Amino acid sequence: MALLFRFLQAFALLLLASAVAAEHTSNWAVLVSTSRFWFNYRHLANVLSLYRTVKRLGIPDSQIILMLPDDMACNPRNAFPGTVYSNADRAVDLYGDNIEVDYRGYEVTVENFIRLLTDRLDEDVPRSKRLGSDAGSNVLVYMTGHGGDQFLKFQDAEEIGAWDLADAFGQMWEKKRYHELLFMIDTCQANTMYTHFYSPNIVATGSSEIDQSSYSHHADNDVGVAVIDRWTYYVLEFLETQVTSVTSKLNLGDLFDSYDESKIHSQPGVRWDLFPGGEQEGRLRTVVDFFGNVQNVEVENANATEPGSLKEDLAEIARLVERWQKRDEEYSAILGNSAQNSTEDLHSSTLNLKPKTTVGPSKMAEDNGWGKRLVGASVVGACTAIWVAGSILGRSSV
Amino acid sequence: MALKSAIRNLRNNPYLLFVRLPNLLSLLCIVVGVVWLLLLPLNEYSRRTYISENALLPGQVHAYFTGSEQNIFRGYKKELEGLLNDGQARGGQKDEAEVTAAVSDKLQSILQAAGLKVATQKYEYTSAGITHQGENTYAIIHAPRGDATEAIVLVAPWMTADDKLNLNGVTLALTLARYFKRWSLWSKDIIFLITPDSKSGTQAWIDAYHDMHPASVQSLPLKSGALQGALVIEYPLEHRFQTLHIVYDGVNGQLPNLDLFNTAVAIAGGQMGIGANLQEMWGHDDSYKHRLQTMFRGMTKQGLGYATGAHSSFMPYHIDAITLQTKGEGWEDEMALGRTIESLCRSLNNLLEHLHQSFFFYLLMQSNRFVSIGTYLPSAMLIAGNFTLMAIALWMRTGYYPETKPAEPKDGKTDVAEPKDMKVSVEAKTINIAERQLALPLSLVAGLHLLGLVPLWVFNNIFHQYFTTTTYIFVVVGIILPLILAAILSHGLGLSKPIVPQQYHLIKSFSLLLLGLSLSTLATLNFSLSFMIGLLCAPLSFVTRVQSSAPVRLATSSLGLVLLNLLSPPTVLLGVCGYMGVSVEEVLTQAAFGWDVWGLESGVVALDMAHNYKGCKE
Repeated sequence: MALLFRFLQAFALLLLASAVAAEHTSNWAVLVSTSRFWFNYRHLANVLSLYRTVKRLGIPDSQIILMLPDDMACNPRNAFPGTVYSNADRAVDLYGDNIEVDYRGYEVTVENFIRLLTDRLDEDVPRSKRLGSDAGSNVLVYMTGHGGDQFLKFQDAEEIGAWDLADAFGQMWEKKRYHELLFMIDTCQANTMYTHFYSPNIVATGSSEIDQSSYSHHADNDVGVAVIDRWTYYVLEFLETQVTSVTSKLNLGDLFDSYDESKIHSQPGVRWDLFPGGEQEGRLRTVVDFFGNVQNVEVENANATEPGSLKEDLAEIARLVERWQKRDEEYSAILGNSAQNSTEDLHSSTLNLKPKTTVGPSKMAEDNGWGKRLVGASVVGACTAIWVAGSILGRSSV
Repeated sequence: MALKSAIRNLRNNPYLLFVRLPNLLSLLCIVVGVVWLLLLPLNEYSRRTYISENALLPGQVHAYFTGSEQNIFRGYKKELEGLLNDGQARGGQKDEAEVTAAVSDKLQSILQAAGLKVATQKYEYTSAGITHQGENTYAIIHAPRGDATEAIVLVAPWMTADDKLNLNGVTLALTLARYFKRWSLWSKDIIFLITPDSKSGTQAWIDAYHDMHPASVQSLPLKSGALQGALVIEYPLEHRFQTLHIVYDGVNGQLPNLDLFNTAVAIAGGQMGIGANLQEMWGHDDSYKHRLQTMFRGMTKQGLGYATGAHSSFMPYHIDAITLQTKGEGWEDEMALGRTIESLCRSLNNLLEHLHQSFFFYLLMQSNRFVSIGTYLPSAMLIAGNFTLMAIALWMRTGYYPETKPAEPKDGKTDVAEPKDMKVSVEAKTINIAERQLALPLSLVAGLHLLGLVPLWVFNNIFHQYFTTTTYIFVVVGIILPLILAAILSHGLGLSKPIVPQQYHLIKSFSLLLLGLSLSTLATLNFSLSFMIGLLCAPLSFVTRVQSSAPVRLATSSLGLVLLNLLSPPTVLLGVCGYMGVSVEEVLTQAAFGWDVWGLESGVVALDMAHNYKGCKE
């Protein structure tokens, strides 16, 4: 009995503690490059670099949606067939042997992207192409490509507008498809893309202000193209050198403070106002809340404090446990003379208590037991009757 | 109020409206047109060049054509040199056909050894009694990972455009062929074409590539995909060079996409540190004078429309091409040229579609400065417009004033005197509307323009020895024919009744209308040609019958006649040839060759122009 109490107590404390920290239960990442063609090599390299980072921090392939509109590794112009590099030192082959591209080539369209976010996909679309996030998921959305004032070009053929994106996120929120969302975008005039967002719990950041270009960082003279964009390069530099493991305590504030306009050559922007608590709260979110994979247990209404909420209940349970323990001690003191062998206290006390406990729980079950059962049975009976009637009527109509 | 009365005056003063005003406007058009052109080199009207096509990425790759490749270059060169000397020694004099036959075998074996597919093509052209023949050798590198739907051409002619032996150029092409074969990053096939000369060889090859060749040219046994670009290598020097000269003018004034030129400038100047020049402007200091001079040189080449190098033949097939010529004495060696070409090929290799982003109609005035068609076109259009304006004015004049010429000014004055009865006076004029007699003017203008076909046929079919004589004959005919025509027209000579003044105006109106129409159309295709012809024809707008006493009339009309004859095409041809110090025969041989081989059309335009003159005289 006492073991049970102790376990309950520990569990309650654990729950109380975890309710204070991050409350999401899964992490998803949607990484999108929107441009094709060889000279846009860097956009694919941007996305692949980020893909590596989130995988390193623990998000599994099944929870990463990777959209690549072109295949740079197999482009005939690639001097290093089968590889993609995001740095001229060519230390890391981003296209190594462990890569899962979910949407490739002409599958990367605005329609598919919005369908993916809002989960308006056909039944026969495989799980690998679905964003399976729920109300407890932290979602990282990273986009890169060629854009302009409030639009981002997809594949040289179409573009997604800032409102389209805002509505997609709005719908995600209504459908409980994210808990918190970090939106990152690296394109020209990137900050215009998140101006219309209206759904809560979004932190958005972009590489450049309106009328500003985003620039590439450096070119590889053997590959013959620019291999990475500046903003992404410095974000990655932070992630790779500072956020070394999933236990990192660095927060979004640190990440955004690391932006150096003299290096990025454009003004990156951050939008906090949709986040509850604004910048102050938002800054406290750790980087791994979005880039890493955190597995928490889902507890409903975890941080509510009103009467009848979990916290109240847990406190109540804790008090109850204490009281029972006290009573238990009293009982054992009373029965101390009859049972002298105090060393086997736990076992004997439970045995001794057994006949007397009938007073508590049995009484509670007594009142209106049969009445309730009767009500239940009649409800079940009524439902069955409705179902039977409905099925008969339905059949006759057919 | 002043404006209103001015307009009213205008309406009531037909002389002003139909004679003075058009003359003024025409003159204004011409003056503004010329001034417009002169303004173009200024910073405010020209633009800096820029790479418009993102895919090109000029100069972003490291060129590795160095070191050991130089030994291979030397080896190839020695082999070819030996063969050339052999041929010259054996034949005593330079027997080209024999040399190319021996050398062609060597070329083939070298290219085959490098692992390329090799083929040859024989061709023969006859023009003005001269036969041009030879054998093209070409080889293809198939893109190892590409889909063989596109190709780049590298051309090395044995003789450069200036008829110098291009031994280094050919050797460099061979070395590059061997070098490129070892890269696996080509997305397009690369074709190496070695032609005997710069004029006919490439033309024969490119015609055959598109199955457009005449019977005297062999078909190609080996082909690749659609050609995306062509580079011609000319290195006729025996020493290190200083700068690269980029030649871009095509046949009939067509130009390659500006992006190709810009890429070449960016790579040669930016990446390799070799200066790039154009239009033989060596000491270009970016001053107004030099810019204007560069532009005029470009316009002259465009206007004459002849092939300026082996690249010119590619242009009619919408294949962008340039020639890289080495010039001057300096520090750059064949390896530097090789690296430039390597880098250029890598840029072209990056292309995803045909060059289309940048301009096809432009005037360059410095390697990094240009004006595009939108800026320069009004200039030629204004000059063409002056003829149309005049033609319309003449047409209206013929409708209103049948034969009351001397009364004209008086009419005008009376109208001005009584502006109150404006309507009455207008009505009075509409009564004066005369029927236009169109038969004679129309048939005369049409007939004279068709006569233009005679010199075209004659010059393209006689042997070159007779060119000079024929030209003089045409000059004489050009002087006499209009006089006879004028005599027949004004005196009838029993053939018809004498011509009325209305018909003079109609003849002039029709020929000016035709001139204006064709020039404004031509301006969009070949701005420079249109501009030049427009300027030469400008006096035609202002030629009128002089109304005064006999001696003055005789004096002015003979002066006008002399002027017109001086500006007539055969005379201009003789004059320019005399000034430039080239023989008429040579120029005409070139022109005939151009007509036969390149499909040159500017000659036709020039000859047609001659007949405009005749129609307008007297």
